[in-house]
Amino acid sequence: MANPDPTTEKPWLKTDEKPFIRIRNLTKKFGDVVAVNDISLDIYENELFSLLGGSGCGKSTLLRMLAGFEIPTSGSIEIDGQDMSSVAAHARPTNMMFQSYALFPHMNVAKNVGYGLRRDGVSRGEIDTRVTEMLSLVQLDGYGARKPSQLSGGQRQRVALARALIKRPKLLLLDEPLGALDKKLREETQFELINIQETLGVTFIVVTHDQEEAMTLSSRIGVMDIGTIAQVGEPQEVYEFPQTRYVADFIGSVNMFEGRVIKDSPNAVVIHSEDAGIDLHVPHGVSCMPNQKMWFAIRPEKFEITATKPKATKNVIKGVVEDIAYLGGQSVYLVRLPGGKLVRMVRANRDRGAEKPITWEQQVYLTWAPSAGVVLSS
Amino acid sequence: MIWLIVFFLLPFVVVFKISFADIARARPPYTPLFSWEEGRLLIALSFENYAYLWDDTLYIKAYWSSVKIAFWSTVFALMIGYPMAYVIARASDTKRNLLLMLVILPFWTSFLLRVYAWIGFLKTEGVINAVLLKIGIISDPIIMLQTDFAVYVGIVYTYLPFMILPLYANLTKLDDTLLEAAHDLGASKLMSFLTVTLPLSIPGIIAGCMLVFIPAIGEFVIPALLGGPDTLMIGKVLWTEFFNNRDWPVASAVATAMLILLVLPIMWMRRAAEEEVR
Repeated sequence: MANPDPTTEKPWLKTDEKPFIRIRNLTKKFGDVVAVNDISLDIYENELFSLLGGSGCGKSTLLRMLAGFEIPTSGSIEIDGQDMSSVAAHARPTNMMFQSYALFPHMNVAKNVGYGLRRDGVSRGEIDTRVTEMLSLVQLDGYGARKPSQLSGGQRQRVALARALIKRPKLLLLDEPLGALDKKLREETQFELINIQETLGVTFIVVTHDQEEAMTLSSRIGVMDIGTIAQVGEPQEVYEFPQTRYVADFIGSVNMFEGRVIKDSPNAVVIHSEDAGIDLHVPHGVSCMPNQKMWFAIRPEKFEITATKPKATKNVIKGVVEDIAYLGGQSVYLVRLPGGKLVRMVRANRDRGAEKPITWEQQVYLTWAPSAGVVLSS
Repeated sequence: MIWLIVFFLLPFVVVFKISFADIARARPPYTPLFSWEEGRLLIALSFENYAYLWDDTLYIKAYWSSVKIAFWSTVFALMIGYPMAYVIARASDTKRNLLLMLVILPFWTSFLLRVYAWIGFLKTEGVINAVLLKIGIISDPIIMLQTDFAVYVGIVYTYLPFMILPLYANLTKLDDTLLEAAHDLGASKLMSFLTVTLPLSIPGIIAGCMLVFIPAIGEFVIPALLGGPDTLMIGKVLWTEFFNNRDWPVASAVATAMLILLVLPIMWMRRAAEEEVR
């Protein structure tokens, strides 16, 4: 997989790359409710793109518009250079894997998987070969004669995937593909899904509310918030460099300090925060106005926690440990600041039985590397 | 269970018993099967009644004609009832309740009254003929009453709700995403109906057909009131045997034979179909 040129693997970095799916100013209204609000988005060939958002953010509506089940109120969808506005669902080069799997209960597995080919009038012999092929791809060899009711949840999920892939769609739409599986099975299936996607080279768009799932699966993530796309980026980019408070808060957990800019120079900013009780020093320029309201966001694992006063003078917060949650691999500390704010920090449990463990009601100091946090203006 | 024993099994045992007796000028008008004579139990079983059913072509014709009329009535009821049930199941909530109400509404008046109402419609100087004459489509009134046509109209009309309700109950359970999945995989509207909706509604079709076919076979009132003298149905024959000829044993044999010949195969078919669906 090693490739010297990063742009072949990341087509979105290339300026002249033609997007495979081009969504322009797409809006969908249900009566007065705007489900999808003026979304424009480019998705490239062979991408595994996740639409991530809470319930009611419009991610499913967007997916259903791509599949052709919902007609956009305005805007356009182009797949592989072809405008989709006048193409009905059954004629689109897309297939969908439904959240409920929607397997036909009166047909056996082979009939379910071969359904799409039968509708296209493919010969019986070819259907049989391709169904067998597809079943072995999803590791269900020999299950052809079973009815969906005789399968486990994980097996049904595979049948649904095989059925959606058998027509070799240009674009596969997956609505919460792993939502109905238990945690362990979900993790295994995530990697399998990636393998299948890489084997077949089909572009996947996955709708999910599970940020971990989106992080593991995706080449890029589109974070959605009330009908709009709040940020599009690679998983790491979205996590480490969120552009808005919504994104920072939705992906992972975050501590947010509200404050005002008191010093603004080209390569450093100082924000005075009542929340933190100190002046926060940021070692890079931020486009802002003096005295503008800003938020400093920092992830729990970016903190250092010490019982003794650290040497550093800047970016040190004093607090009292209010609660500790031991999670095995790591521990979560909730630290109450003098101003009343509760800060969450996570530390990996590297030592077994540390000599002087930090404990409840203990006074501690929190510090962080100068570039550990993000400054947000909205 | 007790309900079935008291109101179904016991009466049937009585009828079954009578079918083996001989006709007698007595009250009740048949000979006893068991009698005590000189301290011994005497069982007098007579199979003559069943032999008589076979010998006299009237009964076989009546059976056959009943099956035919019931079969076609069921087919018509299915053809009319399926689209109605489909539309009701797919309608919006408020509309659906109204439509269901309209299907059930006829039950609020007596069945007999409704059949008499049809006489008013179908008779030679009835509503339908009057309207057709007035518009000028026909110059002479059509004779509809006392024909097989009137019997079909009556049976289909009466039993239509029994077709619609089980079909509705089945179709309303249909998961819309199955249709979307079919559509997504390249099926047209018609194809997704034929490959998904229709096969999944088979239990509803079977239930509806049973509920129409079984009572239609034994129907007496409709052929008696709407049918002509040559409309031959087993229910009418049964009535004639019981009340006009007062031949209870033969009438009982007719009833027993009907049950065995028609209902048992139907029950067996139904079980087979249920297993198929499962």
